[in-house]
Amino acid sequence: MLKKYFIPITATLLAISAPAMAAQDSPLVLEGDVHLVRVVTDENGVQTTEMVEPDVIVPGDRLLFTTDYRNIGSDPVNDFVLTNPVPAAVRLAPDADTGLEVSVDGGESWGALATLTVESETGETRAAEHADVTHIRWTLGVVEPGQSGRLEYPAIIR
Amino acid sequence: MKKTVAKFLPLAGTTIPIALILASQPAYAEGVSAGTLIENTANATFDDGSGTRTIDSNTVVVQVNELLDVTVTSLNTGPVAVTPGSAVLTFEITNTGNGPEAFQLSANPSVAGNDFDTVVDNIAIDRNGNNVYDPGIDEILTGPATTELLDAEANLTVFVLVTVPDGVADGEESDVDLLAEAVTGTGTPGTTFVGQGVDGTNAIVGLTGADDNAIGSMVVGLTSVDLIKSATISDPFGGSAAVPGAIVTYTVTANVSGSGAVDELIVTDRYPAGTRYRAGSLALDGTSLTDAVGDDEGDADTTQISVDLGTVAGGTARVITFDVIVN
Repeated sequence: MLKKYFIPITATLLAISAPAMAAQDSPLVLEGDVHLVRVVTDENGVQTTEMVEPDVIVPGDRLLFTTDYRNIGSDPVNDFVLTNPVPAAVRLAPDADTGLEVSVDGGESWGALATLTVESETGETRAAEHADVTHIRWTLGVVEPGQSGRLEYPAIIR
Repeated sequence: MKKTVAKFLPLAGTTIPIALILASQPAYAEGVSAGTLIENTANATFDDGSGTRTIDSNTVVVQVNELLDVTVTSLNTGPVAVTPGSAVLTFEITNTGNGPEAFQLSANPSVAGNDFDTVVDNIAIDRNGNNVYDPGIDEILTGPATTELLDAEANLTVFVLVTVPDGVADGEESDVDLLAEAVTGTGTPGTTFVGQGVDGTNAIVGLTGADDNAIGSMVVGLTSVDLIKSATISDPFGGSAAVPGAIVTYTVTANVSGSGAVDELIVTDRYPAGTRYRAGSLALDGTSLTDAVGDDEGDADTTQISVDLGTVAGGTARVITFDVIVN
């Protein structure tokens, strides 16, 4: 039965889940997701934030990228670092956590955004901006067995 | 204006989902192009006791939908001065959405507050890009006036050709309202047209409502010229009898009125029968002119004087004087 080897592909190509082979025997598992952040104003003018499936997104919309991690093994893992390249079509949201460790040069150097600079084509140096961020990383160190957590960053579609 | 992202971020790991290989490279101007796939993959390194390991998360993919937005602006710096007959208003249509879109244009000549309404004859596209309507070169749109597909951020100069009716008065004003509507559809922001965007994405009405309009204004600049001629006679005997030898001084006042200007205003006056021109008597606004042709505004020959006043703005009076002698 060939059939059972087919992996169903969702019609819209959205939220494709493709766990890497290596992850199957990894004590640590990662699960990425993305939601559209929608601010809804009710008739009383009260604004609430909703997290909805990103079925319809356009430039200017706010997305929240999340990565859930969990240690499913029986031993702690050490030196856990999660790195997330920021897709080129989005920019880090201006109200993102200022403590995020980011890179503006493709992952060569790292720091809080306020400490980073970029060089323009004319050779001038300026302070790095949210739109310059190419990578984000979280350095967590030890993850105990059974421990889990969520790492996230907000982004605006360019 | 478009820039293509130079490279894909390298995907660590051993398995690359097929969808990623098929994904087109995102290309965008200010807004990410409709159809662009946004893919996010995190990767982790850790030490599980057997050494450093690297794993990838799954890749989440979302596709950017098409945003329908448009702006219309008038390219006329102020009201266009018009007279009865043809007039041209100039507008610019800009696709401020993120995908190619065509726009249907309609011009409304009956705008509240108009002193008079024009008749819209045609809407034309500036094909040679000089912002001036060139009959025979610039394309007149027929049927429902619809532009070609405009790329995201692209703009188009459009002319609205109108006829100003007879009978309008100087200083009267009229507006024409040009409306551009996305062909895919318009509506309140957020309205979704399922599957009608680029690459089968949805098309979403943006903040402009996917339509926009702009006003082009006209003001009637009618200019009229009144010539007023008077004469004084001084006879050789100190009186004012038109006897032989008497000198008749003619004063021709050219009164230009209205809000516009007249071009190439030339005043000529033939000498009456039985008189002859007194050489050297021609003057404009009190300043003598020579009788010769070409050295100043005026000249005089044996039959008439002629003064070229050139362009004269409304509200201006020019005074020409010359003498003839009664034979």
